[in-house]
Amino acid sequence: MAEKIGKHIAIYGKGGIGKSTTTSNISAALAEAGYKVIQIGCDPKSDSTNTLRGNNYLPTVLDSLREGNKIHLEDISVKGFGGVLCIESGGPVPGVGCAGRGINASVSLLQELHLFEEFKPDFVLYDVLGDVVCGGFAVPIRDGITDRAYVVSSSDFMALYAANNLFKAINKYAPTGGAKLGGVIANSMKPGYHREIVEDFVEKTGTSIAGYVNRSIDVQQSELYGKTVIEAKPKSAQADIYRNLAKYIAGNEDLVVPNPLGAAELKEWARDWGDRIYDIENGVVSVAEAI
Amino acid sequence: MSEVIKEPRNGCALHGALQTVQEIKGVVPVIHANAGCGVIHYLANKGTSGGNSSYSGLSIPGTAIQERHVIFGGASRLREQIKNTIKVVKGDLYVILNSCESAMVGDDVDAMTREIVEQGEPVLDTLVAGFNGGPYYGYEHVMADIFRTIDGVKPSEKKTDPYLVNILGIIPGKDPYWQGNLEEIKRILEGIGLKVNVFFGPYGGVRDLINAKNAALTINFSRWGELPARILEEWYEIPILQRPSLPLGTEQVLDLATAVAETIHIDEERIKSFFGNEEVYENDLLLRAREDLIEYDNSQTAVLVGDEEQVIRLGRFLNDFLGKEIKAVILTDALKTDEEHVTDNQELLKEITDSIYITSDQKKIEDIIRSEKPEVIFGSSLEKRIANRLEIPVVETSYPVFEKLILNKADAGIRGTISFMEEYITVVNQYEAEKRKQLLSYVKGEKGGKLWQEQSQKRSYSKKLTLVTQSQTKESLSARM
Ligand SMILES: Nc1ncnc2c1ncn2[C@@H]1O[C@H](COP(=O)(O)OP(=O)(O)OP(=O)(O)O)[C@@H](O)[C@H]1O
Ligand code: SF4
Ligand SMILES: [Mg+2]
Repeated sequence: MAEKIGKHIAIYGKGGIGKSTTTSNISAALAEAGYKVIQIGCDPKSDSTNTLRGNNYLPTVLDSLREGNKIHLEDISVKGFGGVLCIESGGPVPGVGCAGRGINASVSLLQELHLFEEFKPDFVLYDVLGDVVCGGFAVPIRDGITDRAYVVSSSDFMALYAANNLFKAINKYAPTGGAKLGGVIANSMKPGYHREIVEDFVEKTGTSIAGYVNRSIDVQQSELYGKTVIEAKPKSAQADIYRNLAKYIAGNEDLVVPNPLGAAELKEWARDWGDRIYDIENGVVSVAEAI
Repeated sequence: MSEVIKEPRNGCALHGALQTVQEIKGVVPVIHANAGCGVIHYLANKGTSGGNSSYSGLSIPGTAIQERHVIFGGASRLREQIKNTIKVVKGDLYVILNSCESAMVGDDVDAMTREIVEQGEPVLDTLVAGFNGGPYYGYEHVMADIFRTIDGVKPSEKKTDPYLVNILGIIPGKDPYWQGNLEEIKRILEGIGLKVNVFFGPYGGVRDLINAKNAALTINFSRWGELPARILEEWYEIPILQRPSLPLGTEQVLDLATAVAETIHIDEERIKSFFGNEEVYENDLLLRAREDLIEYDNSQTAVLVGDEEQVIRLGRFLNDFLGKEIKAVILTDALKTDEEHVTDNQELLKEITDSIYITSDQKKIEDIIRSEKPEVIFGSSLEKRIANRLEIPVVETSYPVFEKLILNKADAGIRGTISFMEEYITVVNQYEAEKRKQLLSYVKGEKGGKLWQEQSQKRSYSKKLTLVTQSQTKESLSARM
């Protein structure tokens, strides 16, 4: 592959964990800071860039592929807030076809259309759906398409489980030129022991935390207006949280190959935390003591 | 660890299913795959014996699916293809063959088929993804699926015919002599008063598929018919007569007739008179070949290469009838472990030889032949290379056979005994003749040739000499004048 134009970042995480919200706010914050940004939604739902473009209609890459006509960049991209170039890969209707192959095909197509040479981005963010269920979904971290991945996770076990799966994929592909991990974005953080759980997990897996994002009503409100927090509530504390996160990600060159936990190890670790949480909830010990 | 197979002779499940339905008259295959799947099958078989059936190669309807069908699903492309096929290609039954792509993408072909059947069209589908197995898998599964669904597509009342038998276990094309062999089995069974569903070739067709449920017995001539035979047994209570191979020679055929008579009542007198006539015919013809038979040294040792059924059929015949020593048999279809089938021919194979190999790797096959040092090979055209090196003849009895057209010649049954002997003796005679010719040309071209060359050189030298002397004479003459 030719010299990469801009930093290419893949964002993974369990379904519904806040990937699209977080990615869009990072894109918006980077654009606000003067960078040229592309955000590519790698998800058949094609809702990744909604809040960047006010929920306006955008034909997906695969829609145009399905039609079989000659595809032009203008047809499948639109500039959203702060000039962020929004692209949705799209995919088949649920239950039909192969979405994994779809992501593969649309990423190749974007390369064929010389997207990066034309737009010359500083940052390209790939918002990839759900878990790394098969080879298709690992495409953005394979084959040198991105060189860094972040994973959005809460302190919920299933979210960390998905993060651990991504670590496995990174672990597999990094030695052959795949992406490395930039860190874990701890989303929807509530007060209490939640931070500690995520912190313990990153320590065990030899990774780090890129930033903490609180659970906030601002996020939901902005979403309802079809906007990012950066655009809708630029003065809010939540906007600053996203700005800081964006700044960290823009500058972070500390990329690692994680050590995912084995299945038994992960279960053991979770059970251990289950006991501690039980003690905390029942007032047996304080948070500090439990940790 | 998987290993590389050199020059494999077997295609994939889709190919097995395709060559099976291609030979059923009235069936139109529809391949749901990318374009290469059908074409590669066509190209692989183009040069082999037997020619092509009505729907072959580029004329087979197919979806030729592309990347967008993988991503968005190929079911609607298939619907379009079936509808168009029904419009332009007349058939009694349309069989959709699902490939690897279709299986991986998970196209709901069953639902699609149901939709079209509800519109009154005779369509059924089968999943024969290449990654599921070889052509044998394809044969078994397409036949099983046909028997499972044909009654829903072509309904008819079940009326058991006490004299009707189904013939299974012979894969069209995988046995180069399949057509002749089926005809011969049909001739024999009809000769003793039965009716036969052969399914394939000019005597078969969709009618046989519909009638299969009315049979009184299914005779399965190899392990590869077990699954469809079992379906007929479970669904229609048709008993199975499992045979290790097609019969070859009167004795084997009589043995088959006796086994059939255990289930179906056959008139003894009829059997007697049929075999009486057959014996006279066979003896009469083989008598004519007695000189060749006597002249040819039958003690020559042999190696057999081919599918299990062929190896058993020929092995027993060569052993029992010709008293030949079989040094080894190489089975090109058997699986190292086969949990799907109950057939176990170990004992039978051991009676033929102690050296039993299972491989379709040409390198290994050649190595085995080299180490066994046979004097003749019964195998496919692929064995010609090693045969040439070892300077021994090959009698082509198994797939693939190149440079030879085999339409209805048989190497099973009673007539098949005669044509097998014809073929065997012809090959050996031609081989001997070729060897003699080579020897002669060697003597002429090399040794004798040198002598001749030297002499002819001398001759031309002396010619030149006389010319020179003549001209000198002329010169001296003129000088003198
Ligand atoms: N920090 C937060 N505070 C409050 N709400 C949040 C936060 N992060 C995400 N959400 C809400 O959670 C919901 C799911 O978020 P989002 O669509 O970004 O998740 P996702 O990981 O992209 O989901 P999917 O896997 O379906 O693509 C949204 O309604 C969003 O507004
Ligand atoms: S193995 Fe699969 S892809 Fe290959 S020819 Fe057979 S069905 Fe087609
Ligand atoms: Mg999303």
